[in-house]
Amino acid sequence: MTNILVCDDDKEIVDAIEIYLMQEGYRVFRACDGEQAIQVLKEQNIQLLIIDIMMPRLDGIHATLKIREYSSIPIIFLSARSEDTDKILGLNIGADDYVTKPFNPLELVARVKSNLRRYTQLGNLNVENNALFSVGGLCINDDTKEVTVDGESVRLTPIEYNILLLLVKNKGKVFSIDQIYENIWNEEAIGADNTVAVHIRHIREKIEINPREPRYLKVVWGVGYKIEKQ
Amino acid sequence: MDDQRMQEQAMQQEDILTMEQEQSGQEQDRSGPEEKGGQRREKRRRKNAAGDVSGFAAQDGEGQTQEKGGRKQTVRRRHRHTGLSILHFLQHVALVTAAVLIVTVLSGSYFVHYTDKGVESYSLIGEDRDAPFEESTLFNRLLGKSVSDVICYGAIRSQMETDAAFNPQKEIDVTAFAGRYGELPGEYVTARYYLDDLLKWGQAGLEYEEVYMTGDEVNRFLSFGRTVTKVDPQGQSGSFKYLNSDLSGATQVVDVSGNLLNPEENIRDDVQETILKNRYRTVDGKKLEEHVSTWNDYHMLCENLSSTVRDLAVNYNNYLSYRDRFDGGNSNIVYFISKTINGKTEIYSNLERRTGSEAQLKKELMDRCGRYVLYDASAMEFETNTMIEEATLRYLFNGYEYAYPQDTRIMIGVDTGYGAEDVFTMARARFGDFVPWMWQYLAGGIACILIWLLLLAVLTMKEGRVRRKDTGEIVTGLCPEDYIPTEVMAVAGIALLWGMFYGISAAVNRFWQSVEGGFLVALAGVSALLVSLIFSFFYYSFVRRIRGGVLWRESILRRMGRSLGKWMLYAFEHSTVLIRVWVPLGGFVLVNAGLVLFTAYMFVDHRETGLWLLPLLLLLALDGGVGYIMYRSALARERILEGIRLIRGGNLSHKVGEDGLYGEDLDLAKAVNSIGESVRTAVETSMKDERMKADLITNVSHDIKTPLTSIINYVNLIKRENVKDPKIREYIEVLDAKSQRLKQLTDDLVEASKISSGNIVLQWEKINLVELLNQTIGEFSQKFEEKALYPVLRGPKGSVFIEADSRRIWRVIENLFNNVVKYAMPGTRVYIDLGLWEDEQKQPLVMLSVKNISAQPLKVSAQELTERFIRGDESRTTEGSGLGLSIAKNLTQAQRGEFEIVVDGDLFKVNLMFPLMEK
Repeated sequence: MTNILVCDDDKEIVDAIEIYLMQEGYRVFRACDGEQAIQVLKEQNIQLLIIDIMMPRLDGIHATLKIREYSSIPIIFLSARSEDTDKILGLNIGADDYVTKPFNPLELVARVKSNLRRYTQLGNLNVENNALFSVGGLCINDDTKEVTVDGESVRLTPIEYNILLLLVKNKGKVFSIDQIYENIWNEEAIGADNTVAVHIRHIREKIEINPREPRYLKVVWGVGYKIEKQ
Repeated sequence: MDDQRMQEQAMQQEDILTMEQEQSGQEQDRSGPEEKGGQRREKRRRKNAAGDVSGFAAQDGEGQTQEKGGRKQTVRRRHRHTGLSILHFLQHVALVTAAVLIVTVLSGSYFVHYTDKGVESYSLIGEDRDAPFEESTLFNRLLGKSVSDVICYGAIRSQMETDAAFNPQKEIDVTAFAGRYGELPGEYVTARYYLDDLLKWGQAGLEYEEVYMTGDEVNRFLSFGRTVTKVDPQGQSGSFKYLNSDLSGATQVVDVSGNLLNPEENIRDDVQETILKNRYRTVDGKKLEEHVSTWNDYHMLCENLSSTVRDLAVNYNNYLSYRDRFDGGNSNIVYFISKTINGKTEIYSNLERRTGSEAQLKKELMDRCGRYVLYDASAMEFETNTMIEEATLRYLFNGYEYAYPQDTRIMIGVDTGYGAEDVFTMARARFGDFVPWMWQYLAGGIACILIWLLLLAVLTMKEGRVRRKDTGEIVTGLCPEDYIPTEVMAVAGIALLWGMFYGISAAVNRFWQSVEGGFLVALAGVSALLVSLIFSFFYYSFVRRIRGGVLWRESILRRMGRSLGKWMLYAFEHSTVLIRVWVPLGGFVLVNAGLVLFTAYMFVDHRETGLWLLPLLLLLALDGGVGYIMYRSALARERILEGIRLIRGGNLSHKVGEDGLYGEDLDLAKAVNSIGESVRTAVETSMKDERMKADLITNVSHDIKTPLTSIINYVNLIKRENVKDPKIREYIEVLDAKSQRLKQLTDDLVEASKISSGNIVLQWEKINLVELLNQTIGEFSQKFEEKALYPVLRGPKGSVFIEADSRRIWRVIENLFNNVVKYAMPGTRVYIDLGLWEDEQKQPLVMLSVKNISAQPLKVSAQELTERFIRGDESRTTEGSGLGLSIAKNLTQAQRGEFEIVVDGDLFKVNLMFPLMEK
């Protein structure tokens, strides 16, 4: 049984999250402020923490800072603050993920699952294989032409696979549409159109939890596409 | 019935008049700004009124009664009043008639007679209109003249005739002739010539020559004796004159040469003398000089000959003229002159019957002549039925005493049958034409003048008065000419009238008595008409001006006064500036001029001592000092200007250094600093406010988001509950959609407020627009497909680089595409054009335009579309926050781009322009 602590001063939100998580078979603990959360963490064996930022007494940021002093469990921030600066701050002080309110409950559940998998399974995975490429929870086995995201298999078309492989092989490098076209189709790109972009969108829809906020396949607008180094 | 029709006509007449309030004319243009608002309102109201068919609207009345106190009411007219027009016409007629009548009287009041000796004119004024012509002064004066002529004629005949016939061989004693007006001396030297010789000599002229003579030559030239004519009265009494007495027996010619000097003994001197050329010889075949022995006698004789020749020439002309007149049947004068000298009677007459008893002659004369003068000199009898007096006649005779002896009778009559065409006939005709009617003409003329004056008075009272149709008030109607400046009108009027009078008087001087009366009268009529027209044009204009109170208003003086006043006011208001600029300048110029003069003076006086250099140096020092001050001032200005430029450029914290500034410059610098400071504070405050607003929106949106989270979560939970009731499922769908929209809205709101408050940090990158568009189209391909929209990208195939923040530029394009997806008509193409451009400074630009056909008619303007919360459809039922285009615009501008929306019917077009980045 996986224990998840949900910490928010809004009781109804906690209730709702609890319902979704219990449906997925998780055991849910509740806290309504940072201090309570730390208390619960000390008392219980918690595998994942979902914590709001703005809370009375001890807010999410300070609570996370304290928790990180002794624990490395996945922490997902749940906040109404949607600005980039808030996200960056949250991730920098030790959060593993950042979900803005109002959120899609299913997305939250997916993120919870993803973080748990990485924490419990993939974190220990260390296979030496030249044909194996991985970025975060994304794994490509070029031998079997298999793509998994957080352990779950994803079905891609050959062109989508080749594009993703190209980007994963060259993590952090930005490929323009023309470059991708020339690499995949092996033709000179004369007036490349939006074909590549459409493929990219399809890939994103398949591998990302929220395609609008991709974790792996990122768009650099006006420049190209890249897989983020993690 | 008739009255009614008349009234209607009058009403129609007034309709023609276009009337407007005086103030809506030029006056309004000159009014000050503080009045303008009110006046404009007035004008509008009046314009409405003008639209009314009647020409005046009823509501206009109230405004006018208010103004009535201050100004006289005037209206602008196009036509004169009909009734007055008739009066005006009558006035012109009266003046013209008066002029014609008076000129008729004046030109007819003279009888002009042209004779060989010139023009004689006789006034008819004062003639008795009831008396016949023969009793008029004119007749008697003409008769007197004729009597005088007849007497003269008689005298001349005595000189030239023998037995009442012209005698060319008549001997003329030149000395006696020359002295015919005086008494003959006892003895005199003379020469006799034939009459025709003398007349011919007179025609050819006397010729003289200058000669030098020695004594011998003089001896040969002059005679050695002198012939003297001696007059011996032989018992005759009275004074002897040339022709009035028979001297044939009383004169004797004595040759005194014999008892004078011997030629040998007489030694004459050499002389230089003027001598007469003997064209003709005397009666006895001698030369003139042979009658005299001394130069004195010679010259006297020459003088007498010359005088005789001259007088005879004149008299001969008169003789011919008189003979033609009196004896040629060209005159109504009948004359009879009988003179008896020494028993020999000579008769000059144009009577057929020359002889007979006095009574018979007299009867015949009186039969023919209604008027006559009879005079018997010897009997001193005088009889006449004219106004000629005896004294007059005797006086006339006295003038020709040499020709008329004591025993002279004269009878002169006028043939009152007027058979001959002569001066009497003409005078009688003129007399008959004029004298009986003169008073009527005069009275008519005076009556016309009186009528004219009466009309003048009436019209002066009436002119310009117009009854307003709407209110019935009497107002002043002004004609277009009444708006011509008063002075111009006055000068023009005076000049025209003066010119007319000058012209007329010149014409009168030129033509008076020299042209026919009819022409003169016509000239007078035309002139009077012109004068009348000109006069009434100007005079009534002035009457209307005075009545309407615009005499002063329309004058140049007033305008000049006004502008002068304005100028004075300006000068007063800006007196400090004027004083500060002109007084020092004036002083500077004066001092300079004074020093220059002083230098010149010193140079003249103290050239050697070099003292004259002193004022020059002073001058240079002064000018240098002034120049330095000006230079300092210019520097200070430059510093202040620089400060202003910096502040205008955005450096609001800049301060102009106040050190070393004086007076105005210091004030200016302080003002600039304080303005800069105020602007800075204002900008900071505004920025702070904007930031606070953004923060507020952010915080509010956070507070909204938390409950929204619960809503979305629980809606989702309900959806998972497998609700069977379709109605409830529908409700849940609505809740789901609306809560999602609320979420979108809060996000957009936060973003929009952040962008507009400038609360974003841009990360500049090199962006390939072609890449970006392809990426975006790729991203939107599904949405486009769902809406059956076909994106068409046109533009350069390669790369087009601009500098922008990649995520922000994506947001712009995304918003535009979202807009297209939401509002474009399904099944249409969406054109995305990329073009290269150049702006005014020749900087290369990229222009990106997105065009689509709107599904709904666009009811809002392009301008409004970029404002917050505005959407193409007013119902706001579709998705979207209404902030998309606003955010896109603000982000574009934040990235140094331009954002423009063009709406052309259903074509919706967004143009983005960015500076092109060089590759």
